[in-house]
Amino acid sequence: MEELIRREHSQKLYIQLVEILKNKIQSGEWPIGSQIPTEEELCKIYQVSRSTVRTAVLELAKQGLLKRQQGKGTFICKKVISTGLTLLTSFKELMFEEGIAFSTKLLARTMMMPTDDLDILLNIPEDRHVIYLKRLRSIDNDPVLVKETFIPYHICPHLLDLDVERNSILELLESKCGIRITRAKSYIELTHVTKEEGSLLNLPEGAAALLFTQQSYSGNTLVKYTRTVKRSDRFRFFIEVERKPE
Amino acid sequence: MKHKKTVKEIMVDVFEYPHIPYWFTIKQAIVIIKKTLMGPEKCYHPLAILVFDEKYNLMGTVTIRDILEGLEPKLLTPQIMTEFAGADIEDALATYEATMFNEEAKKRAEMPVSDIMVPAKAYVLPSDSIAKAAFRMIHQNTSILPVLEDGKKLVGVVKMFEVFDEISSALMD
Repeated sequence: MEELIRREHSQKLYIQLVEILKNKIQSGEWPIGSQIPTEEELCKIYQVSRSTVRTAVLELAKQGLLKRQQGKGTFICKKVISTGLTLLTSFKELMFEEGIAFSTKLLARTMMMPTDDLDILLNIPEDRHVIYLKRLRSIDNDPVLVKETFIPYHICPHLLDLDVERNSILELLESKCGIRITRAKSYIELTHVTKEEGSLLNLPEGAAALLFTQQSYSGNTLVKYTRTVKRSDRFRFFIEVERKPE
Repeated sequence: MKHKKTVKEIMVDVFEYPHIPYWFTIKQAIVIIKKTLMGPEKCYHPLAILVFDEKYNLMGTVTIRDILEGLEPKLLTPQIMTEFAGADIEDALATYEATMFNEEAKKRAEMPVSDIMVPAKAYVLPSDSIAKAAFRMIHQNTSILPVLEDGKKLVGVVKMFEVFDEISSALMD
């Protein structure tokens, strides 16, 4: 049965509509990528004014659940629910879980010396060589993130030859180098894309994006530092906290 | 005078030299050279840094000489070079002095190293003779040569120091 707006309710109409539409998206009744009814149709279904519909749609677009395309209509966004905060899931596993088709393009794989604060971030002497990887990830050919990975060369020299487009670094470190990442520290902040990042992510220079940095440990050894710029309209982060039993 | 040693026996590990990608700035290269090759107790020779592309192919080398040249004022046109040769050399040098230490030089330090590096044109094979390495060094004007296995895979570098050592020792015998 269609959930309806309750006029006797003290909550504003558009907020009620937001909740109703959100339920349809989250329950999967409106599948990802599908087009939602037009404003007029929504007005009819819920018996509300056009401005209420518009406000609700705008609110959902702001939350990243809907994407409005001029002249085409409004669509349900493909959001990647990232559990990146619990590191033991790599991007690849995550994508399998979500059933989303993604591809990885290797933009660079080379060697460098730690510059700026990289020696501190990796906790290595400044004359140690570091493997540098830069990868672009896309969902349905739509670029969504640029990931730069820094790994001290002595940790896993094989990484220079292994297939890092089809395998996750996490898996390769474990299967080829016997290094199991057990812990990670992650930081998420707002960033503004550089010209180069922008051209990779189809964003104008200076556009807001999410910057995700992570230091990964195997026991007490720092093995990896990553810097990921993610399109803010394509990701949402999920954190579940649980209170320790008393 | 016969000499049987090959490049393989005198080459050193590539990891004795810092590696940087071509997009690093001159400034970043300076910091890296200072941190890794120059110190109170050690000073490697030559003071060279290896430059790689995004696929980890060796592109070239940057030495402290290349850095100094890169920081040089770009007013060194052929015309000025002629002045250097003539009587106005003091005037030209005064301009040179003034610009080498000003903000312009700082700006030039932000250029990518690809602008100043010397492309790796010559290389030797592990099985090559020391004489061949010497020939390449002298005529390519470089004090460091990459050693490529099958002409492809980088396996080490030959330094002028070891080449000199071999040749001079043979001479003294």
